[in-house]
Amino acid sequence: MASRNMDWADDDDGEEVAVELPPPQTLQNKDGTKTTITYRYNENGQKVKTTRRIRLVTHREVVNPRVAERKTWGKFGLSEKDGNGPQMDTTSVGENIIFRLSTNWRKDTKDESKDVNANAMKEKLKDKTVKCRICNGEHFTARCPYKDTMAPVGAEGAADPAAGMGDELSAAGGPGAAAAGKKGSYVPPALRGDRAAAGAGDRMGGSKYGERDDLATLRVTNVSEMAEEAELRDMFERFGRVTRVFLAKDRDTGLAKGFAFISFADRNDAVKACNKMDGYGFKHLILRVEFAKKAA
Amino acid sequence: MRPILLSGHERALTQIKFNPDGDLLFSTAKDQQICVWFSHNGERLGTYKGHQGAIWTVDVDPTSTFIASGSADNTIRLWEIKTGRCLKAWDFPTAVKRVEFSEDGRQLLGVTEKRMGHLGTIVVLDVVPDVDAEQSDERALTIVCDESKATVAGWSYMDKYIIAGHEDGSVSQYDAKTGEQLDNVPVHELNMQVTDLQWSPDRTYFITASKDKTARLIAARDLELLKTYPSDTPLNSACITPKKDYVILGGGQAAMDVTTTAARQGKFEARFYHKIFEDEIGRVRGHFGPLNTVAADPTGKGYASGGEDGYVRIHHFDKGYFDFKYEVERERENRL
Repeated sequence: MASRNMDWADDDDGEEVAVELPPPQTLQNKDGTKTTITYRYNENGQKVKTTRRIRLVTHREVVNPRVAERKTWGKFGLSEKDGNGPQMDTTSVGENIIFRLSTNWRKDTKDESKDVNANAMKEKLKDKTVKCRICNGEHFTARCPYKDTMAPVGAEGAADPAAGMGDELSAAGGPGAAAAGKKGSYVPPALRGDRAAAGAGDRMGGSKYGERDDLATLRVTNVSEMAEEAELRDMFERFGRVTRVFLAKDRDTGLAKGFAFISFADRNDAVKACNKMDGYGFKHLILRVEFAKKAA
Repeated sequence: MRPILLSGHERALTQIKFNPDGDLLFSTAKDQQICVWFSHNGERLGTYKGHQGAIWTVDVDPTSTFIASGSADNTIRLWEIKTGRCLKAWDFPTAVKRVEFSEDGRQLLGVTEKRMGHLGTIVVLDVVPDVDAEQSDERALTIVCDESKATVAGWSYMDKYIIAGHEDGSVSQYDAKTGEQLDNVPVHELNMQVTDLQWSPDRTYFITASKDKTARLIAARDLELLKTYPSDTPLNSACITPKKDYVILGGGQAAMDVTTTAARQGKFEARFYHKIFEDEIGRVRGHFGPLNTVAADPTGKGYASGGEDGYVRIHHFDKGYFDFKYEVERERENRL
């Protein structure tokens, strides 16, 4: 055929289509799955090899005898030569559609499209109210009509004296910080939980992060898209007890985003793992392992 | 919900239809083949070859033995489902836009196009429900639509009436025995074509879709308007779901404007409305062109849609679909 004389880089005009394709192959794997290899030409006339690993699962279904009888019918027309089961050229499976019926579906879909963080923030601040430090009115201190004429209401007596930044934040951090006796200094949410273990701080979710031993948490970056949490756990469990594995995944595609956090029960194990696993080759990529930094 | 995509057609879909058991799905398109698919896995059972023009319509008889199809080659053909054999072709002066078997499967109606000096008609043919029998050439009845041509038609409960939707947006009721027009009601906006007419499972009421962007639920007995489902796009098709009280509407920007429309603007979605409360309760995306036809599985397990993009998408509903209830429905259940 013409293709033999042609350079592989030459642009061919699709006349190659006449070249025989290798016959499809089916291999039986040890674990009970089958591998089928088929060849076809794409619209550019290039040969495409498709390798599929198929696991057959028998699924029993009770149907009407009429329906069962029709399933045994022979194929005809354009499908006459088709084998059993759906054919690739006519039938394919589409991507998953999330279909939830709801009376206010219009609002629901809009919410989904919005930034997740914005929603999370809104959720957190839902039951917080704005309170003026000068007059205890329902507005920001900066907006207070008395701000030039009055000093803030007695610092000790006020409900939330610790707040220095936004008053809405103070509602959560205030009591905890006040108990520690620090007046007027802003306490970042990440630290609040530690101070007031049983205080109001945990409402913000701050204590959740505080409880976790950040000292024994590794940040793993340059992780392959195909990675799974279980695989990471297996890899890191060699060094000691792993308390938590978090692999960031894309919400839509389900593929890994390329970074993960591994928490160890013991910091010494974490140090060992960090040394050993930094630069380790995993799924064609070289892992970068370092200690996680505290969220600022 | 993972849809099954069927790409057996090269051109825009015109109609899809489930058989009464819901296991077979027939599809017709503007290419010249009818396809039949197993609805549970999307496997193609076969194709029916013989038409020489775009095929506009298909219908299955109640026993799943025959299908009838109407085409732009001016014929109605009768086929044996199992083998793909063409049993009979009836010739007409113009294209056939809609066929439907009567409830007992012994009669077949066809809607013919108005063209070349011929008025639009609704014809009724007798069908002998036997694969090997000789089918008669005779027309059992011919209804001439001299005011506005019929675009869609169907048989009511007990084959008592023939209900037709017209180009001018009205719906008529004819006596199925004599062909006499009993009633004509302008349900849709004037000169907004009725694009689809599908029946409830018991054929006592039906839903019409129209270019006026609404679908309407109408009683067959007196053409009383029961419900209205407004949307924001011209509708091509509508169907009533069995088991759950929903209706599915399909439509989108007119086919000729599709290439100049982004998929988002085109509103190429199947819309679910609650049949009784008339609220829109969900949408299903997926097609790249307007939905020309939607059909609900008679067993209530799923639905299929056919688009201008040449694809048929079969959807099997998730549990959430069956569990969805209005607050009032739930309250009522708790009281009982």
